[in-house]
Amino acid sequence: MSAVTIGLAAGTLVGMAVILTYILGWANVAFYVEVDPRVDAVSKVLPGANCGGCGFVGCGEYAEAVVMQGAPVNKCAPGGANCAAAIAQIMGVEVGEALPYRPIVHCGAHTKNKHGISDYRGERRCVTANIVADVQGCTYGCLGFGDCVAACAYDAIHVIDGLATVNYNACVGCGACAKACPRNIITMTPFKADRIFAVLCSNKDAGKEVKKVCDVGCLGCKACERACGLFAIKDNLSCINYDDYDPEHLEDIFKAIDKCPQKGIVLVGKPSEKDLAAVADKEAPSVVTPDFKTTVDDTEWRG
Amino acid sequence: MNYIIDIFLIAMSAALINNFVLYYFVGICPFIGVSRNIGMAFGMGCAVTFVITIAAFISWAVTTFVLIPGAPLTAFVAGFFLPGEQAAAVDLTILSYIVYIFAIASSVQFVEMYVRKFFPPLYKSFGVFLPLITTNCAILFACLTIMSNVAVDNPAEAWDLGRALVLAIFGGVGFTIAIVIMAGIREELDMCDVPKPLQGAAITLVTAGILAMGFMGFTGVDSGLKKALKPEPAREMSTNLQDAAPVLARVTIEN
Repeated sequence: MSAVTIGLAAGTLVGMAVILTYILGWANVAFYVEVDPRVDAVSKVLPGANCGGCGFVGCGEYAEAVVMQGAPVNKCAPGGANCAAAIAQIMGVEVGEALPYRPIVHCGAHTKNKHGISDYRGERRCVTANIVADVQGCTYGCLGFGDCVAACAYDAIHVIDGLATVNYNACVGCGACAKACPRNIITMTPFKADRIFAVLCSNKDAGKEVKKVCDVGCLGCKACERACGLFAIKDNLSCINYDDYDPEHLEDIFKAIDKCPQKGIVLVGKPSEKDLAAVADKEAPSVVTPDFKTTVDDTEWRG
Repeated sequence: MNYIIDIFLIAMSAALINNFVLYYFVGICPFIGVSRNIGMAFGMGCAVTFVITIAAFISWAVTTFVLIPGAPLTAFVAGFFLPGEQAAAVDLTILSYIVYIFAIASSVQFVEMYVRKFFPPLYKSFGVFLPLITTNCAILFACLTIMSNVAVDNPAEAWDLGRALVLAIFGGVGFTIAIVIMAGIREELDMCDVPKPLQGAAITLVTAGILAMGFMGFTGVDSGLKKALKPEPAREMSTNLQDAAPVLARVTIEN
């Protein structure tokens, strides 16, 4: 009796194994999905950070888009030029000129420059502070609670004295901070040189209103527009036309900087020896570098 | 009519009253893990429903035809080696767990291939969670529930395929309801100022507990429904007893 039971038990499992294996084997052939071997090859070349800087959900999706839909091969910011070249080799295409995109925080106001800061005791996040009125006077400027700091996987942005500041030496241009900012004051900008000029303000109110809330905000006075053709005033805010921006011919911009009453046009980016020497005699504000001692503990809970 | 009422009771019981997740606390892993946003939670619920149905079909068939004492296939094979009565008494229910896990793993594999072929976006959004359904104990629980209702002493009361599938499908629907409610709460919770000691997993488990307490409010509704829809059981029981009485008497005399 027991021998028969054991035999039947074994037979049951072997029988199930055979039947299910047969079904799965059939399904494997019937439901076979052809995957382009190039997708795997491209996936292997990509850094696998899944940062989403390319505009796709992750590295796998970007690899698929490159192979299937012919997406540009130079979208991967963390991978850089090597990665783009490797993908181009797999795909058999030429790499186009890839300008590095880097974030620019369009706000220049540190805590001492901001007016109308109230005693905000809510959650220490920009997303929540942004839906509360009167956290600070300026409704366009940096809130300084560091959602961008939390979003950055490369430790390249820090809140220094109430203002998010990018460390361009560590930044890879993934764009996570620009997505995290609820006020949309961080823009991903094509850097035609290691250092480019930027207008550090996002306030679109009239100059009189700006003066009430900020010491350094753009007044929309049009002085820069008159001094240099690169500038255009849109909605009371000075904007640089980066399409025509030429890092070799910047004399006009220095003129515009001289005219700017708020000194809101500054150089941002990675300073190189050459750049520093070139502007040594000019009156451009210096680049602030992050100080880790003041920026480490900004996520503490104060509820 | 009786059959329809039975089906209705099983469905209500599986989906709401004795919800797999919030009453029996099975399938907690995806319930906590995949309930971050509603879309994904709904997808997970659908996948579990799909897998649970296939697994229930396989496990019902295997239980009925192979595992229980007197199952036709087993009795037929055993008949070659043993005299009739002993052949009918061969009991393979001890294999139930391993057989069900076998069935669940294969059906997950099958579903994965199927979804990959015919619903690529769904496959992409599931990611790693589809293979993880293999270890979802809600499915094993459904299989074991079906077994306990198939392997009953009175063959007339054993569940047929229809009842087993209804339990599986509505168990899956109940799982979907629970996980979608949970995902909705957690999406709102993201905007709340949760005290630091309770942040993360702690507040999730507290939420799940309170949700389960809410669902406990349904307790007993199934027996009430049964009473309202099937007023006969009392009489049936008495007739059963009368039928059983001579048998019992005979058994005692024989002993």
